[in-house]
Amino acid sequence: MTDIIHFNQVGYRYPGGKDVLSDVTFSLGRGEMAFVTGSSGAGKTTLLRLVGLLCKPTRGQVMVDDVNLASLKGGDIAPFRQRIGMVFQNFNLLYDRTVFDNVALPLVIRGFAYSDVQRRVRAALDAVGLLNREKSSPLTLSGGEQQRVGIARAIVSKPALILADEPTGNLDPEMSKEVMKLFERFNQVGVSVLIATHALHLIVHMPHRIIHLDGGKITARRPRTPAMNDLPPFPGEDLRGR
Amino acid sequence: MAADQAESNLQVQPLPLMKRLTQEHTRVFFFSLGKLGRNPVGTLLTALVIGVALALPAGMHVLTQNLSKISYSWQDSLQLSLFLKDSVSSERGAALAREIRDRPGVQATRYVSREQSLAEFRSQSGFGEALDVLQDNPLPAVIAVTPERGRNKLQVEVLLGELTRLPEVDLAKLDQKWLERLYAILGIIDRAVFIVGLLLGIAVVVTVGNTIRLDIEARREEISVMKLIGAPDSFIRRPFLYTGFWYGLAGSVFALVLVLAGTLALSGPSETLASLYDSTFTLSGLSFGSSLLLLLTGIVLGWIGAWITVWRHLAHIQPQ
Ligand SMILES: Nc1ncnc2c1ncn2[C@@H]1O[C@H](COP(=O)(O)OP(=O)(O)O)[C@@H](O)[C@H]1O
Ligand SMILES: [Mg+2]
Repeated sequence: MTDIIHFNQVGYRYPGGKDVLSDVTFSLGRGEMAFVTGSSGAGKTTLLRLVGLLCKPTRGQVMVDDVNLASLKGGDIAPFRQRIGMVFQNFNLLYDRTVFDNVALPLVIRGFAYSDVQRRVRAALDAVGLLNREKSSPLTLSGGEQQRVGIARAIVSKPALILADEPTGNLDPEMSKEVMKLFERFNQVGVSVLIATHALHLIVHMPHRIIHLDGGKITARRPRTPAMNDLPPFPGEDLRGR
Repeated sequence: MAADQAESNLQVQPLPLMKRLTQEHTRVFFFSLGKLGRNPVGTLLTALVIGVALALPAGMHVLTQNLSKISYSWQDSLQLSLFLKDSVSSERGAALAREIRDRPGVQATRYVSREQSLAEFRSQSGFGEALDVLQDNPLPAVIAVTPERGRNKLQVEVLLGELTRLPEVDLAKLDQKWLERLYAILGIIDRAVFIVGLLLGIAVVVTVGNTIRLDIEARREEISVMKLIGAPDSFIRRPFLYTGFWYGLAGSVFALVLVLAGTLALSGPSETLASLYDSTFTLSGLSFGSSLLLLLTGIVLGWIGAWITVWRHLAHIQPQ
């Protein structure tokens, strides 16, 4: 019952490739929100994939919710993923179903009664401000709205942990800020949130912890900052100009 | 979990296992049907192909069933036919028929003179006018001999040998002979039905499998997303298995319709044929039990086709 994520000297190498992550050690506390930053190719996506058990570390241990992921195999993987909410840069929605059905999917997978599904989906859509679009096709929504559907789907089963890989990568600056605020709101009710982004300018003035990757190694860390106005300098900040 | 505390008023649990499975299977039952309904032409074509593949062995089965029914009904009226030499007068022929009737092992005889033969042939065959062209009556006089019931084959064959040696008899024939041949042929056909059925069963499995493989290809991304958000394999598999079920069901319904249509189309001519043989035979279609079996076979084959494909292809789709 300590941290929700703990990486201990984790290394990862794609089959036949070079090391994509090496000696990565960090933790995400329960109820904490943090960012993983770094330029394209730094290894952010790989780090999140390790947490979501989309790949397994070639070195070190990954613990999530007190489970050593190396011990999970076969039929354990799906139930494990159900406990995590994942948000993607390209939204990963199903475009042949309504917004409602997309958000309902994690609950349907877990076998909730339809009356409960309806209640929870409405609550999730309400939380992201899309209650009035439940019957729409995701195709008719803007990028920002689609990402909010993706977020509603990630939170609908009330996971303890949300992972988001470049959640604002396909959104304009206004939408990006909205989406980041949404994550903060879920964090405020106790959900742990880990977000990978290369858009440092978007997050550098937010008070959350930052883990900076470069070439697969953690090269800088910034602790959680209590107030927005006295942020300590951050080494990666020059990336901000983009 | 922390998030639950914040929204504890919405706290719910998954349903108990049985209720959950019932709800999920009901959902997928209709969901997969709806998916097929969105591509009605493709679905119907596939079902038609399956239907033809199932109708062939089923139709052949109906045929052999009917043939063996004919032979069975003829076994009852087992007869020896004695074709008399043309030199035998009708008086002598009639007398011979009476003599033979008094032999042991004979139940009845019937003498049919050459003229009667001709008249019967005229009225039953529909070739009467063709016969008018002929100068002479080509048909021989016949004594039809009905052996006593319960005589075994050997006894009847002994009787046949004795009757063959009578000076008046030109040719003696046991109707059983061609019955045996018919049985032999039926045996071959039965085996052929089995082999053809087996091959076409494989064809059904392959057809369904291939259709579902294309479906899986087309829905690669969807499957990948499902895996990403934690759908277990059983959940992803289920709609495809139900698709196989629907294809099998639709295909076997098609097959039933085809067999029924075939039976109806053949029943007129076959009754005419039967009347030629003094038989009240009527062509029968698939029995209720066989129809049920056909439906079940179609469904099981569709399901197997789906299962094999899903088993081979779903594992290859890894979430990105
Ligand atoms: N499937 C793969 N096979 C081999 N190398 C890969 C694969 N996916 C990513 N990489 C490499 O791993 C490195 C890190 O990638 P990634 O984790 O996606 O970085 P980021 O998300 O920070 O842009 C990159 O150099 C990339 O080329
Ligand atoms: Mg990435």
